[in-house]
Amino acid sequence: MQSPLEHVTLFHIGPVPIAEPVVVTWLIMAGLGAFAFLATRKLSILPSKTQTVLELFVTVLDDQIRDTMRRDPAPFRPLIGTLLLFVLIANWSSLIPGIEPPTAHIETDAALAVWVFVATIVFGISGRGLKGYLETFVEPSWVMMPLNLIEQITRTFSLIIRLFGNVMSGVFVVGIVLSLAGLFVPIPLMALELLTGAVQAYIFAILATVFIGAAAGESEEIPLTAKESD
Amino acid sequence: MEGNLVEIVSVFSAALAVSFGAIGPALGEGRAVAAAMDAIARQPEAAGTLSRTLFVGLAMIETMAIYTLVIALLVLFANPFV
Amino acid sequence: MTIDWWTLGLQTVNAAILIWLLARFLFRPVSKIIEKRQALAHADLDAAEAAKAAAEAERAAAEAERAEISASRAALLDAAQADAGRETERLMQQAQAGIAEERRRAEAALARAEAERRRALDAQAGQLAADIAERLLRRLPDAALTAGFIDGLVAAVAELPAPVRDRLGSDGPVPVRAARMLLPEERATLEARLAETLGRTLPLEISEDPDLIAGLELDATNAIVRNHFRADLARITAELTRHD
Repeated sequence: MQSPLEHVTLFHIGPVPIAEPVVVTWLIMAGLGAFAFLATRKLSILPSKTQTVLELFVTVLDDQIRDTMRRDPAPFRPLIGTLLLFVLIANWSSLIPGIEPPTAHIETDAALAVWVFVATIVFGISGRGLKGYLETFVEPSWVMMPLNLIEQITRTFSLIIRLFGNVMSGVFVVGIVLSLAGLFVPIPLMALELLTGAVQAYIFAILATVFIGAAAGESEEIPLTAKESD
Repeated sequence: MEGNLVEIVSVFSAALAVSFGAIGPALGEGRAVAAAMDAIARQPEAAGTLSRTLFVGLAMIETMAIYTLVIALLVLFANPFV
Repeated sequence: MTIDWWTLGLQTVNAAILIWLLARFLFRPVSKIIEKRQALAHADLDAAEAAKAAAEAERAAAEAERAEISASRAALLDAAQADAGRETERLMQQAQAGIAEERRRAEAALARAEAERRRALDAQAGQLAADIAERLLRRLPDAALTAGFIDGLVAAVAELPAPVRDRLGSDGPVPVRAARMLLPEERATLEARLAETLGRTLPLEISEDPDLIAGLELDATNAIVRNHFRADLARITAELTRHD
């Protein structure tokens, strides 16, 4: 049996080995980018069906960010929304035969978690100032500083492992059952994988929101337009 | 049956990790679902919020089992001592 | 387990590119259009609010105008009523004045008519008295008709002024009218008395006139001497009927 922790290098561009998840990610990026470009090319005040769905998505996303962070969602919207969309589509890409989800490989999850980690630091500093952000590490006292520092690493690491383990285990279990039982038996497990993939995408996005929001601190004032879409 | 001792121990420990690692999350999930049901019975109008939070919590708890699964897989397929 | 660092690096770049891509082509346009619609909705709401306020103000203005109109109408009505009251008062006074005038005139007319009537009554009474006297006098005996009047006539002639007296009879016989034809002795007495008064004989031409009732009348050309009841009655009647 092939190890789920290994991945196949498809080809090389110069010295760079291009693995399968990278190619799948490129495909997903191309698809998402093309869809976004086509869908938002003709936006109007009176929305079409596609535009209505997009606006609903953005509105719900804004509400979630606002509820979690107590802040204006505009600066965080691209990062959180992209995490949610990409993880969801990547998880569900296992439905296409022959394609293994990129999130089933730890490098993809690590790449996403790295951006969450960077965003935590950037928004923390921009929200509290450098001094204020550094002071959050010594709360409630100096004794807690090592724990706080370790927490930064471990929670990023747990973010990686959570997504990786869920998706990878799903793929792995489906592969095992397929090799043991036959053609149609893994279908319930695949359906469960859809649910798990969606929930994990939501969890990944909401945890990123929580981390960034905790780092940035609560805003003093909630914008006036915030409460209207509740 | 001319097996390597390290491989035998690895398989055994992987099964042990998964089995024991499943106990804690299973108990936790059971408690969480019971509490959620109780809360929904008390307050049916909050069922939407409760079930959403329940799913997220279940996924979080499940992650613990997933961790052990990852460890087991690491032991099985990426054992540094083999 | 090995981590493929090339793949990690590539996926990191990919994630960054995807974030930029979606931010550029998905989230920014959609959120912009949502904000635009919200702004439009706000503008519409504001416009509606403004229109409502304007309508409210207009209604208030109309209300004020209506109140003003009703106030002015009330004022006009009051003025008209006051005018009408004054006019009525004036007309009433005028009418009262006219009525008083009329009454005064009527009273004057009444008084005048009363006076007229009384005068007429007086005249009638005087006439009646004269008639009664005449009728009574007519019952006197014949002798009395002339007997007592000769002396009176003579006395009256005697009182005439001297020139008149002297000229009596110069134009011929003096006509003397009597209530009845004088008896010869009465005529002689008259002539004798006249001759005695005048100092000469006066030719007389005696005629009878029952109208005299009783008495004599000497009717010369230059003097008339009346000594009879008719003249007395006429004088009394004139006296009675003359009021003013």
